[in-house]
Amino acid sequence: MATDVFAALASPARREILRLLLDGPRPAGELAAHFQMRRPSVSEHLRLLRDAGLVSERRSGRHRYYHLEAERLIEVRDWLAPYERFWRSRLRGLRALLDDESQELARSSRADTVDPQAADG
Amino acid sequence: MAEPLTAIRLDEFLPHPPERVWRALTDPDRLARWLMPNDFRLEVGHRFTFRTAPVPGSDFDGVVACEVLAVEPQRLLRISWAGGGLLRTTVTWRLVAEGRGTRLFLDHEGFDPTDPAQVNALRVLGGGWRTHLMRRLEAVLAED
Repeated sequence: MATDVFAALASPARREILRLLLDGPRPAGELAAHFQMRRPSVSEHLRLLRDAGLVSERRSGRHRYYHLEAERLIEVRDWLAPYERFWRSRLRGLRALLDDESQELARSSRADTVDPQAADG
Repeated sequence: MAEPLTAIRLDEFLPHPPERVWRALTDPDRLARWLMPNDFRLEVGHRFTFRTAPVPGSDFDGVVACEVLAVEPQRLLRISWAGGGLLRTTVTWRLVAEGRGTRLFLDHEGFDPTDPAQVNALRVLGGGWRTHLMRRLEAVLAED
């Protein structure tokens, strides 16, 4: 995965743009209206998002609409997958340990109740 | 959308009472058996390490530096977690009694997707763990 995706996500303004696009495609002008900064700065943010593959631009009539590229976002979302796999496998280990301890406990308590009977017989 | 990029949240039902789960989380010997060898002590402020095998070709030298941050007996344990490209993240375990067992919540928070070193470290680590798991799987299959 290209780190430029993460560089693109480093800016709060760009994350805000993505958040706005979660609701659906929007024209560039409407996006710009959400920010205090000058229009060229917003265009620059949009360019970086486009370069990172996080948004795409489509023309419709006189407007340029920006769309979210969901696939790319999923790829980004999954960057923690290695650590998640690590924890899932450790949780399986924890469960196995607890299961083992329960079985041992059950065995020893069975032994406790069986032994006196064996002595009687 | 920032949330899933910076945290792992898992939960698991364990058919064992909270006190047993708590013991498995806080007794160093038991912790070593399912997580990693350590010098953990159940005491806020205690600094300790988990030690495991380094992952070849990665930043991970096999040492995770930790500190006990919060303890609520049989309910919550929070530790800091640094190592392998992670500067400072936190791991929180929460135990909630559920029926005859315990629901265990694990939150690993504080990942920084804007830090290229961290992104790289995780990528390499991902490969390393996969390889490690494959080797273990092969070893188990070879035993049959």
